[in-house]
Amino acid sequence: MRLIRPAAAVVTALLAIAAYAEDAPLKLVARDGRFEPATLDVPAGKRVRIEVSNQNAKAIEFESKDLKQEKVIAPGKTAVITLNALKPGEYRYFDEFQQSTGQGKIVAK
Amino acid sequence: MGNALFIVWRESAEAMLVVGILYAWLRQRPDAATGMRFLWGGVAAGAGLALLLALVMLGIASSLSGDALEYFQLAITLVAAGLIVQMVFWMRRHGRTFRNDLERDMAREAGESRWWGLLVVVALAVGRESAETVVFLYGLAGQDDGGIDFPVVLAVGLLLAFATFWLLQHGGKVLSWRRFFRISETLLLLLAGALLVGGLEKLIALGVLPALVDPVWDTSLILDDSSRFGGLVASFTGYRAKPALVPLLALAAYWIAVPLLLRRSHAKAPAPQPVAAPSR
Repeated sequence: MRLIRPAAAVVTALLAIAAYAEDAPLKLVARDGRFEPATLDVPAGKRVRIEVSNQNAKAIEFESKDLKQEKVIAPGKTAVITLNALKPGEYRYFDEFQQSTGQGKIVAK
Repeated sequence: MGNALFIVWRESAEAMLVVGILYAWLRQRPDAATGMRFLWGGVAAGAGLALLLALVMLGIASSLSGDALEYFQLAITLVAAGLIVQMVFWMRRHGRTFRNDLERDMAREAGESRWWGLLVVVALAVGRESAETVVFLYGLAGQDDGGIDFPVVLAVGLLLAFATFWLLQHGGKVLSWRRFFRISETLLLLLAGALLVGGLEKLIALGVLPALVDPVWDTSLILDDSSRFGGLVASFTGYRAKPALVPLLALAAYWIAVPLLLRRSHAKAPAPQPVAAPSR
């Protein structure tokens, strides 16, 4: 009987870890001054992690006024951006160092 | 090329603004020599900070160290905002009375402890954005990209930055000192407000603060902050086309509180001397 509570706690923790691991980060690649995919679908209403990998020879600044994010990523580096639960809709982002081509959007559904 | 130049200029404009205004202001003071030492000390410390930050960004910008870096940058942003406001109060208190001998001594005494504040505010203003410039230039240097010539961008970018600095110094001569000072104050307060908004948005992005309502409204049809010009306005005033409620309220509170407090410190200051505003 005494073991039930700790056991329940362990199970809960494992479930939580499993749930967390399930949400693998979505991937975004910056290449040739562009973002791929240019439109990224994410689930609305929950925290989302996006792994931005900069495969350009130049640094990028992932910036989004809509998402209130700003992050400089050195060439060849990868950064994880965590988005708070989004309302359904479109959110624009861009590479501030290469604004003419480096544009994309995130669509929360 | 033009794009690269614009980025170098924009990233260094904040530092130029803070350093330029303080330089112009210090030059008027009897204890300018001491102040200048701290000013340039701040510039040097800021360059060091920028290099250090850039190394972190270049070397270990992984997901693990990413958060620590985020919090560090957040702290720098908010501390810089606070120190810039404090600097404006300090300049206001001691700027207008320095011709009076007695008060000059008092100002100097009160100033001694503040010199370090000046050094820190300059170091943060220089270090904050320059780190990004370093990373950006590092990327440029490492590649041959159809005509973008790294040394040229660096040289012309620095030249543009110094032209901005020179304009600020010149502005102090063309305009009356009082008017130049008023404009400088306003620019610094706008910048501090922008830093406040940026810092709060980072706190929201990190999940520390709730946004409450996001967005409150959408004015991107009037001025889109994702455009180049809109982005510039955003980074120097805190303007947002789609503001979240918490930063919006904070900015409103800031713009109510700071002018009120400034007026009060103004009222408490000794009556202005006829010679208080030297025309240069």
